[in-house]
Amino acid sequence: MPEATFVVHLDDFQGFLVKQRYPSTLTLNEKVLNLIFYEQQKENKENLSLAEIEGLRIAIFSSPQYPKWMVCTVLGAEEEFDLVTEGLAGSGRLILALMNEDADAVNLEEIVKAGSILEKTSEEQKLAEIFLTPSSALLLERMQAEGVEKAAKLSIWLKNQVQDEVDLREAMAPLMNSGVVKVEMIGKTAEMVFLVKDIFGYRAPPVESIKKASHTLPAIANQYNEYVTSFFSPPPPNKGYNPTLPFTDPNSPILEDREKISRLLADSLNYMVLDALRTEPLTAGEVALKTALPESIVKKVLWSLEASKVAVHFEDEDIWALLTNPRIESFLPEYVLPMIKKKVSEKEITPQIARRHLELLMQSCGEPT
Amino acid sequence: MIRSVYVLGEQGNMLYSKDYAKSESKADLVEFLINLTQFLGTVDLENKTEFMNVAISRIFFAQRDSFTFMFVADKADDSTQIEEKMEQLVDSFMRDYANLASANQPLDGFDDKVDEIAVTMVKVAILGFAGVGKTTTLHLLRGETLPLVHDPTIGVSIKKLPEEVENANIVLWDLAGQSRFSILWAKMIANAQVVIIVTDSTLENVLRSKKLVTLVKDEVPDAKVIGIANKQDLPTALTPERVGQILGIPTYELVAIDISYRDRLIQIIRRAILEGKAEAKVA
Repeated sequence: MPEATFVVHLDDFQGFLVKQRYPSTLTLNEKVLNLIFYEQQKENKENLSLAEIEGLRIAIFSSPQYPKWMVCTVLGAEEEFDLVTEGLAGSGRLILALMNEDADAVNLEEIVKAGSILEKTSEEQKLAEIFLTPSSALLLERMQAEGVEKAAKLSIWLKNQVQDEVDLREAMAPLMNSGVVKVEMIGKTAEMVFLVKDIFGYRAPPVESIKKASHTLPAIANQYNEYVTSFFSPPPPNKGYNPTLPFTDPNSPILEDREKISRLLADSLNYMVLDALRTEPLTAGEVALKTALPESIVKKVLWSLEASKVAVHFEDEDIWALLTNPRIESFLPEYVLPMIKKKVSEKEITPQIARRHLELLMQSCGEPT
Repeated sequence: MIRSVYVLGEQGNMLYSKDYAKSESKADLVEFLINLTQFLGTVDLENKTEFMNVAISRIFFAQRDSFTFMFVADKADDSTQIEEKMEQLVDSFMRDYANLASANQPLDGFDDKVDEIAVTMVKVAILGFAGVGKTTTLHLLRGETLPLVHDPTIGVSIKKLPEEVENANIVLWDLAGQSRFSILWAKMIANAQVVIIVTDSTLENVLRSKKLVTLVKDEVPDAKVIGIANKQDLPTALTPERVGQILGIPTYELVAIDISYRDRLIQIIRRAILEGKAEAKVA
């Protein structure tokens, strides 16, 4: 058990503010806070580092998502830093996400004692990042059209598209992190970008949750069914939600909705609550138990999910259920096979590159997605 | 800082106005604000505070019912801070004075309320390499006894100026000069309205300090930057004019260990805040 935990924020006017502390008797001076910030600034990625400051062993967690915020933990004499890193990073992630929602409502004591954590981003969240980075989404479209392309050519294409200096590596990062593309040197000079997965973002009907409701919650089952039916297939002339319509169809919901879905999935608090509701309808209290999040935060998230037509609230029973189940799924892009064939026959790519692409496709479709 | 506060009625009639510091030509400004009010009558701001840049100023405005509220502030101001002030002003007016204003009654007590709300925090960052006298300058500004032993600052030391300048509370950020802390400078000067670059007036230090001027102009382009040629009592000191030429910013002489410089320095900061960036002149 750590000796103390506290959250520091660098305010542009007032300087270092200790926004939360546990235990409340903990005292800190300006020098310690300065040195903590200095240690943290040496790294700029999501990071947990250990610093020895004024005789204290302090683990500092920070994330580029919340600049100028730090979650600090004073380790006990017997605690091994290497053994607690995962838990500290998880609780750091959770505390910062909660502080961002409502700094005053965070109950540090509750979080520290319960050992609540926020997991690292899931595969689905990594896919969502692609649609949230405009140049990554552009690159994905280009790769869907090309299948395989030289990195240098792609970089020039992207610069022309955005009419500005843009770092290809940065734009490519969400695509690479989620395993949608692979970048490899083939031969000595050609750095190639291969499309090995494609993705599809949509709202699925919450089938599992409806089934569960019909067995365990007969009081809401009928009404729940009606809500979902009226969203996906309302009586004519309304068309309802149909994600399989092509982009060109005026009824296609995808373009305007895809970003909303991605934003929901990428936000870790939303994602945790949403994921908890995927299997069954629950009360806010049950969601709080399942996710180990404070109930006040769970309620806030549920209201925002209701506004985005993801969750519905059955007021009499005080139960929440999914109206739609936002998903981003990956699939094998079979359509690249004829592209590869054409590019080889037109000598646009060497047989070696084509072979490597096929190998990568096989590897990726063999992996669990 | 908030330079002026205006509340206008439905017909663009001035219900209340107050100036804390000089801003753009007043008559033109008032005419502009009245036109803006009429224009705002045709759009819906949805109870939000918006702003627009006009020359060196930034005009913040909000509408509630038939009333229009405006602040003339600086581009370098932290917009969140000013927007919060606007909310306070609007809430207070709508709660206690809207009925009086509609009935053409005097707004007793509103002036005090505005004074209370319009106090802003202005950040002044003191930057420079190690040992040039930044902390001594801070002590001088605060009228404190100077320490006899050099104790290098760690990270940043943040202190308030004891007196208010017009309606602004000055927060002084004395940044550590040691090179290991240079990674913090860009973050620490964020939202500063005035950045004071302190040099020890030696040629070597002044030449190095040019880098700081570039850093400040990149990070806080709307801030007013002034140079300080400190340690003028030493024989090797370059003149403030020469230091100013090299740095390319208005520069003033200082002997930070001499208390008689205190008032002069406060006046320099006061002028920097009141004049804003565009009117920076070498004294």
